[in-house]
Amino acid sequence: MKAYIAQRLGIGLLTLLGMSVVIFVLLRLAPGDIVDILFSTGGYVNPVERQAIERELGLDRPVWVQYVEWLRQIVTGDLGKSYRYDLPAWEIIRPLIPVTLELAALSLVVAVALGVPLGVISAVRQDTALDYALRVFSLAGLSMPSFWLGMVIILTLVAWFGWIPPVTYVSPSQNLWLHVVQFSLPALAVGYRSSALIMRITRSSLLEVMREDYIRTARAKGQSGRVVIWRHALKNAILPVVTVIGIEFAFLIGGLVVTETVFNLPGLARFLVEAILWRDYPIVQNLVMFIAIVVIVSNLVVDMLYGFLDPRVRYGH
Amino acid sequence: MTRSRIMVLAVIIGVSAFVAIGARGALAQTPKYGGHLNLMQREDLSQGFAIHETSTIATSFPSMPCFNNLVVFDQTKRAESVDNLVGELAEKWSWQDNYRNLVFLLRKDVKWHDGQPFTSKDVKFTFDMVREAPDAAGKLRINPRKDWYSNVEAIETPDPHTVVFRLKRPQPGLLVMLASGYSPIYAAHVNPATYRTGCVGTGPFKLKEWRKGEFVDYVKNPDYFVKGRPYLDSLRYVVIKERGTRTAALQAGQLDVSFPGETTKTAAEQLKKAVPGLVITPVAQAVSDNVIMNTKKPPFDNPKIRLAVAYAIDRKALIAAVHQGGAVPGASQQPRPYGVWGLLDRDLATLPGYGKPEDMKARARKLLAEAGVTPQNPLKVEMATRAIAMYVDLASFVINELKQVGIEATLKQVETAQWHPMATRGEYQIGANLTGLGVDEPDANYYENYACGSPRNYSQYCDEQVQKMIEAQSQELNPQKRLAMVSALQKKVEEDAARPVLDWRLDYFTVWPYVKNLVPHDNIYNFGRMADVWRDK
Amino acid sequence: MATRPLGVEVPGAPVALHRPGAWTVLARFCRKKPLGAVGGFLMLVILFTAVFADQLATYDPIATDAGQSLARPGPEHWLGADHLGRDIYSRIVHGARVSLIVGLASTLLGSVLGGVIGLLSGYIGGHTDLVTQRVMDILQGLPLLVLALVMSAALGPSIPNVVIAISIPIIPRAARVIRASVLSIREMQYVEAARALGLRHLRIAFRHILPNTIGPFIVLCTAQLGSAILVEAALSFLGLGIPEPYPSWGRMLSVSAAEYAQKAPWLVLFPGLAISLAVFGSNLLGDALRDTLDPRLRGG
Repeated sequence: MKAYIAQRLGIGLLTLLGMSVVIFVLLRLAPGDIVDILFSTGGYVNPVERQAIERELGLDRPVWVQYVEWLRQIVTGDLGKSYRYDLPAWEIIRPLIPVTLELAALSLVVAVALGVPLGVISAVRQDTALDYALRVFSLAGLSMPSFWLGMVIILTLVAWFGWIPPVTYVSPSQNLWLHVVQFSLPALAVGYRSSALIMRITRSSLLEVMREDYIRTARAKGQSGRVVIWRHALKNAILPVVTVIGIEFAFLIGGLVVTETVFNLPGLARFLVEAILWRDYPIVQNLVMFIAIVVIVSNLVVDMLYGFLDPRVRYGH
Repeated sequence: MTRSRIMVLAVIIGVSAFVAIGARGALAQTPKYGGHLNLMQREDLSQGFAIHETSTIATSFPSMPCFNNLVVFDQTKRAESVDNLVGELAEKWSWQDNYRNLVFLLRKDVKWHDGQPFTSKDVKFTFDMVREAPDAAGKLRINPRKDWYSNVEAIETPDPHTVVFRLKRPQPGLLVMLASGYSPIYAAHVNPATYRTGCVGTGPFKLKEWRKGEFVDYVKNPDYFVKGRPYLDSLRYVVIKERGTRTAALQAGQLDVSFPGETTKTAAEQLKKAVPGLVITPVAQAVSDNVIMNTKKPPFDNPKIRLAVAYAIDRKALIAAVHQGGAVPGASQQPRPYGVWGLLDRDLATLPGYGKPEDMKARARKLLAEAGVTPQNPLKVEMATRAIAMYVDLASFVINELKQVGIEATLKQVETAQWHPMATRGEYQIGANLTGLGVDEPDANYYENYACGSPRNYSQYCDEQVQKMIEAQSQELNPQKRLAMVSALQKKVEEDAARPVLDWRLDYFTVWPYVKNLVPHDNIYNFGRMADVWRDK
Repeated sequence: MATRPLGVEVPGAPVALHRPGAWTVLARFCRKKPLGAVGGFLMLVILFTAVFADQLATYDPIATDAGQSLARPGPEHWLGADHLGRDIYSRIVHGARVSLIVGLASTLLGSVLGGVIGLLSGYIGGHTDLVTQRVMDILQGLPLLVLALVMSAALGPSIPNVVIAISIPIIPRAARVIRASVLSIREMQYVEAARALGLRHLRIAFRHILPNTIGPFIVLCTAQLGSAILVEAALSFLGLGIPEPYPSWGRMLSVSAAEYAQKAPWLVLFPGLAISLAVFGSNLLGDALRDTLDPRLRGG
């Protein structure tokens, strides 16, 4: 077990290293850098001043030197300074993390709370009108652009009620009720999308499991249908669902980007887009690595959970 | 009671009632103290509060409450002119030696937000830094308005409350440039770089917190040098990048004030319909739509082709199509009544593009034919514009107009980071552009946009005669003569068609009815000090 | 001799092994998978719209008309007009072309590249496989939209660049699916037989294994098409997607749509519906194809 974790962590580390190179190179491929953007806010360009700023920010050093410097900083726990805000990157990113994590967690909760029951119902009533209706409903969620859903929600609210959820972040300690209101709508918008996938996986894995011998045996033994489902089938059908939840987490970030923008939530995803537009390399690089670490760790956790839940998979790989 | 006593009583009651009603009427106008306002902020501040290092309203508007100028345009009046100048840090000022020296007598009771006293040293520090004097104590990383002060020979401070600007030659326009929102006073005892993250000013509000990407919070400055101001307790500029969301927030009352320049005519109509009580004031923005053409490279080095472009674009149709009526035609200075230097209507009508559309397009085709462009041999060019909806809508319309006279332009969208380098280096043929004028002053406009070698003269236009005209009007002391010179200058640059101006945008500035005394100006950059604003609820 | 469909045995009668005609297959598919049929139909409608956009549109999609600013849906403008007076219906029709081209191109590019990588990686195995897997992990570790965002910013706004930007995140996903398929086929007997016969590896890979991955490949493509369309919409919404003048459904939803939405809700409604229907159709079709072609993949 320990060897397995060590091996996975080792591979994870290598993967992170590779990712760091990819993101570093990609960013610098983008035309224009922070100095160009700074000058654009000034409305002119001056080569002499430009050189001075490049020197100040360390952008005039060779690219590989900048890369090594970045790695060195990460290892020592220094996340560098934001080019745009001239402040330590960690100071700027830190308050954003709880917002995005909370939104992601709430979205997953919505997704599971919506997806699993719908998947069960759909599987049990396979090929009936209800099954089709539910599948269409969940597929609609997968098909709608999440930013569109968010936009429609806000515009409908303001048109019908003259009210929208708070546009400034309300922390739970300030006003719990407003905070819940503020997060529930975007969580619903993002969660609806994710629930579709979870619903489909739940449905299909439940269908497969229900055909298994031991289910038939249990039925033959006379146990009631519902008990059979909940006790035996679901327990084993959960496995793929857990896997998907892990994958969905990474997939979620895409939906979070636009949702945070539309609902004006001060989270990581929205900030990342801004940082990319501003070529704020330290912020983008570190945020992307942070997301990558979260993804890798969540994959590892999911795999371990998988191993824990299904003894057949526990050892060997 | 005797009759006479009854009479006296009646009179007393009557007079009291009269006075009471009258007093109540006056009380309704008396500003109330206290309260908070939420203002719209369309994007996060670019370089914090470092106004001297940016040229964007995204920084200047939310920074206004923190700073003071030597002089400003009266914040309670809409028009901006030399007659509406009021002193802020300067109590009195006067021109001397035939507009060669500008003397300011400064207030003695002003303190910086950190408690240090304000003196003439701060003024000298600020403007020596901006004009990049050889012995300047401070240095700006980015300095967009160095040219505004190129005529300043020296800045002297004979005593802690007197400043003298010594000019190389007379320049009456300098006073007006100092009134722009772009000319605040920095503190000499503070590193200028710190303005990118914080703000030490003398203004009516102190910076409480700037939460990046979210909001800027201000609290009342209890030691503000104008007694009894400000009225409000606090301000918050709320950053909302998403357009639909911020309009919805304004409508829902989560924002009390719109962002200058962000409310189009149609959006204002929509807002008014939803909330009839909203107060909407149409004002000019001092932002013009214009076409830049590279005069150093073919095909637009040919003045005939440039002139054809100017003729081809129907200004009226553009205003209707792109702005739904929310703009006004004008030449290179903001038109009257919004600006004081604008051409008279009869003069405007003679310029290329202002006549009957069919005639104008026919003239354009004729000019093009003379340059060898015919329907069989159309001119193919690439029109560059910034990848922002405002610019793209404008460019699309212009392309459509040009198509009708035989110029086929394809649209190339350029990302923000590359627009200015591209334009400055002349790596384009023709472009659709927006230009904001920091102040309604020909010196600021022409030296920036039309003078030979200016980095923002994107057309790389350089005409000796025009250069002379710019210099001449800058030194002209007689206002009527100067007005005539500026009119002639406007006509000349439109006829040379290096940078034809298409229209001047209007803003439908929107506030909730309980926001009192926030008067928008005909220029988005020069109002918003917020000292005289109060809240009636 | 009477022909019978495969698999149906009539005792005593010789059975001609005859592959069912294309129409028969289609009819059977429609009957067994009605949702898939609906999806297929939707995709066909969109394809048709994209191909015949010029004929189907009623106006020039980029022509402005100030007098018609924010016109309501009606006989003149079937789906209304936007703030510049451009006909929404015509823009949606032309937008189908853009969305479909970008979606298909990026999906095919990403799937083919990823498929080849997965095929070779799975077949060759060993260290090559290990390294390739890690590289694919790297690409996949970054969320779809984020990667496309960075790529789009890196390459700049133009249709070929957006296609490349969206195809990159698809490569690892395609590689993973094809590789899994290859791994299971590799051990099969006919492959062993081919190897025993001394056929060269490349020939085995492409002649024998590849055709059997077509099923999963088609499923993968239809699944990715939906997300490619969505990513393009999100990119355009954020300002990094298809540039003007090409009408893009995603860009129709950014900026002006939200601002004028209360006066003209059709600005927001119809482009969003168009995107949803396209993705919906491709998802329905993809699901049904997956159920039909590769029941093993039904578990997800």
